[in-house]
Amino acid sequence: MKDNSIQSGVPTRSLAIRQIFWEAVIVGAIGAAFAFAANQLSPLGLALTRDYFPAGSAHSVRPAANDRLPNTFGTNAEILSPAQFLAAQMKEKGLQLLDDSQAARLFRDPRFKQDIIVFVDARDEEHYQQGHIPGAYQFDPYHPEKYFDTVLPVCQKAEQIVVYCNGGDCDDSESAAILLRDVGIANQKLYVYGGGITDWTTNNLPVETGARNSGNLRNMNK
Amino acid sequence: MKLSQTSRSRITVDTSAVLARWLLGAGFLYLGLSKALDPVGFLKLLRQYDLTQSSLLLNSMAAALPWFEVFCGLLLLLGIAVRGTALTLMVMLVPFTGVVLHRALLLQAVQNIPFCAVQFDCGCGSGTEFICDKLLENCLLILLAGWLLAGHGRQSSLRFNLIKSSPR
Repeated sequence: MKDNSIQSGVPTRSLAIRQIFWEAVIVGAIGAAFAFAANQLSPLGLALTRDYFPAGSAHSVRPAANDRLPNTFGTNAEILSPAQFLAAQMKEKGLQLLDDSQAARLFRDPRFKQDIIVFVDARDEEHYQQGHIPGAYQFDPYHPEKYFDTVLPVCQKAEQIVVYCNGGDCDDSESAAILLRDVGIANQKLYVYGGGITDWTTNNLPVETGARNSGNLRNMNK
Repeated sequence: MKLSQTSRSRITVDTSAVLARWLLGAGFLYLGLSKALDPVGFLKLLRQYDLTQSSLLLNSMAAALPWFEVFCGLLLLLGIAVRGTALTLMVMLVPFTGVVLHRALLLQAVQNIPFCAVQFDCGCGSGTEFICDKLLENCLLILLAGWLLAGHGRQSSLRFNLIKSSPR
């Protein structure tokens, strides 16, 4: 049987390549339009012009606990431990870093009960519900508009505000602190608890699940 | 007898190609949706690659890529513009695999562990994975896309070629 594909209109190789190329261009163009429209319509969609990371560049690779990092912060020491590196990074952004014992001390301070000392949890709803520092206010820096009404008046009255997230790689606490500073909360009141909820639970400190002041206290390690 | 064997193997290839198209389509639909439902999580993961300093560009990538994958997945499942879609996916997959590999090498150097022990969430939509598994998975996806690009998977497709060739 004779192959009459060319006569019947099956394209030659170069024509086929061109067709595939233009098909890909059309798919790309319609796909991009679809994608941006879907993002716009989605209630979870991102605002394209917003700076979601006011804290600056990503910690692209997490240093190991025993790593020594080059000092780029203008202090005298040439090599910094991860904790010193984090503290220097915070200082560069105008933020103050708290360690585990300082955070625990503020939590036990009687002024905490009076909202003179306030804890702010910079994680998302799901993680907050799973367990947060008892009495901490939620303030997700990726959806700040949802929380400003509750958190801003409290922060304005407070004398010390401790912002935390997961700890380690997480810099959402820095973003949240910078957002609060940008809307007028005094910088000297803002502290970032670098160890975050990970160190908090590791130190067997109490954790509250569900909503703020739900009374459901537990120790996440038990 | 020889003809029937040939046609049988052709049927097997055709059926496998359709299954490959559906597999690739369903895969991209799943991976795209899992990212589209957590765009902030995807944005954070994408940021770790340090691809750009422009927040507009980063946000645009994080906003559009998941839905773009969903779109391509649907086209493959339905069998519309299959070769164009396969080419588009390859154009996305090849550089992204390179970027993932680069990050894995960086992590390996920092953590000082064997390459295949490197484990991280690459932002692909499948969570934390060992790098060797991820690279194998991406190679498989690229091969499947390449197979479709070669013109296989025509059966059960709504409009395999979006652009019809004009008869000469």
